[in-house]
Amino acid sequence: MFIDFFYQLKDHGVPVSPTAFLTLQKALGKGLVNSLEDFYTVSRSILVKSERYFDLYDQVFAHYFEGVALPDREGLELDELARSLLEQWLQHPKELADALGMDEAELQKLTPEELIEYFKERLKEQTERHDGGNRWIGTGGTSPVGHSGFHPGGMRVGGVSRNKSAVKVAMERRYKDYSLEGPLTASMMGEALKRLRHLVPSGPKDQVNVDKTIYQTMKNAGEIEIVFDSSLKDRLKVILAIDNGGWSMDPYIPLVQTLFDYARAQFKELKTCFFHNTIYDTLWEDPARYKKPLKVDDLVRRDPDTRFIFVGDASMAPYELMAQDGSIYITNRSGRPSSECLQFLAKTFRHSVWLNPVRRARWPYTRTINLIAQIFPMFELTIDGLEKAVGHLMART
Amino acid sequence: MSGETFSGASRYVLDAELAQIVNVSMALEMPLLLKGEPGTGKTMLAHAISESLGMPLLVLNVKSSMKLVEALYQYDTLTRLNDSRFGDSKRDVSDIEAYIKPGKIGQAFAADKRTVLLIDEIDKADTDFQDDMLDVLDQMEFDIIEIDKTIRAKHRPVIIITSNAKKDLSDPFLGRCNFHHIAFPDPKMMRRIIDVHFPGLSNDLADNAIDAFYRLRQIEGVEKRPATRELINWIRALQSDPDFKPKRLIKDELPFLGVLFKKSQDFETANRITQRRARY
Repeated sequence: MFIDFFYQLKDHGVPVSPTAFLTLQKALGKGLVNSLEDFYTVSRSILVKSERYFDLYDQVFAHYFEGVALPDREGLELDELARSLLEQWLQHPKELADALGMDEAELQKLTPEELIEYFKERLKEQTERHDGGNRWIGTGGTSPVGHSGFHPGGMRVGGVSRNKSAVKVAMERRYKDYSLEGPLTASMMGEALKRLRHLVPSGPKDQVNVDKTIYQTMKNAGEIEIVFDSSLKDRLKVILAIDNGGWSMDPYIPLVQTLFDYARAQFKELKTCFFHNTIYDTLWEDPARYKKPLKVDDLVRRDPDTRFIFVGDASMAPYELMAQDGSIYITNRSGRPSSECLQFLAKTFRHSVWLNPVRRARWPYTRTINLIAQIFPMFELTIDGLEKAVGHLMART
Repeated sequence: MSGETFSGASRYVLDAELAQIVNVSMALEMPLLLKGEPGTGKTMLAHAISESLGMPLLVLNVKSSMKLVEALYQYDTLTRLNDSRFGDSKRDVSDIEAYIKPGKIGQAFAADKRTVLLIDEIDKADTDFQDDMLDVLDQMEFDIIEIDKTIRAKHRPVIIITSNAKKDLSDPFLGRCNFHHIAFPDPKMMRRIIDVHFPGLSNDLADNAIDAFYRLRQIEGVEKRPATRELINWIRALQSDPDFKPKRLIKDELPFLGVLFKKSQDFETANRITQRRARY
């Protein structure tokens, strides 16, 4: 039963498993499901394992049981076009009606949904008959008859009351908020960074080591000797270097702030420093990059096991990275190109990554991103990227 | 599952959807995994089930360093070592079983009656913990290695698992559970919840407090938004203040904001915004 439904869920990207489907059959067999409402809740709780897919489930459910149209991915562009046509229509009904060769009064009769449908039909016709450009405008003969009037001032809002059938519940799409397209939040970052833990014994010796206790006691011929160990604590050292200069990083400031806040709460030994675009011989400990310089050469004295995390868009003029006198700051004249300095850091700290808030798809278009990605493993500043970066940082080399 | 259906408890307002899911999970004898904002009653659900069906409740509070064995049983080696050395206890040192203490899951399995087992905040522990638990939940049995004995559940407990994390648990684990996400209650539902908790509360106070509460929840840029738990505590605080008049809430004069906003940044944001509102 409902095998079609199961496959439709699967086809639309809800991760459903056959075992769960069998469980659902078991529930049906036990007579636990007596109505469509029951089926809606029961099958959701059994088949769908994350609230992120609740929205998708609602859509498929509404489609399967009531034939509500599913969002058609290919038709999306057409949708957008039709919608913009509608907007235009709302503003200048007359112009658009003329362009379509339609009677304004006739379009007035349609509801917004019908209008969109109508525009879509038109657009489709146009794409099909690309050569005979003005033909589709001319065929205004068919007049779709509407009802329920249309008011260019305002759209109808689908107000469905509570207490309704399951299909209506599904059509409401209450779980839209939980869909995958959510922004990166502090708690998600925390989840990703949680993996970045390095437990070593520290603190008072207050944990009994049973194995050693038994061993020592045996060695003492039965005289009990209890051995204590200290408990495991996180002692990972992390240096976070953030690019906080220039306009190019501005759009990403909230994102980086979230990361920074969380990192501060997460790690015992966190050092944060700042740079602009790229690193020459100094990093700065104050965000204004003025008062507290930190010589790159001094970093050598730090534990080489320190995890070094760079956050920056790595986008700059290539000479800033490659030229001997590349720095855009006049006081910064070391005679060493920045790329060498970065290579030096990469060699000193085996565990280092570069997090880039720029979307991966756009990386190939910026030359310096490619260059830096050759020096440091570079990851996107998203949940996925963070997890990969953490995986890389914790890898044993 | 004749007769044993769950329909709410004295201090818990249940929506029909959740009741259905609880009942199905009980009938299928599958664990129910609950997610949702903190303070929306995930933990309270287990208490409510235990109360209404008269089943004993066992709570396993998961800790970050927890190993599954700790939840199953503990072998008290040190006591045994001590007893064998000094021999002044009534326990039989040669009997290892006397030194095995069942953990929460062990207790739930060994109980003579069907129990409600609440595994609270499973996401705190490592993924190993979930993976190890798979078999135990699947087979409803585990081995005590020290005495080579298998403990089998006499009655499959009603298992409620809660998780706070936005991140998913491992797939095989999810496969063994039913899932529900407790959405944040709407104002109407909230009113019912408040009525259950404060039977004699005046309409004036309840309406205004709930109104103000939903307005506060809409403040942008707050990391931990106040939830049901905070609202209940807040009303309790308002009630205990003799000088308090419900009318002041309408004017956005909100006392005890610290009950609602627990993070200092959130508190400041909320304070600033409400004060600005109160002025106009």
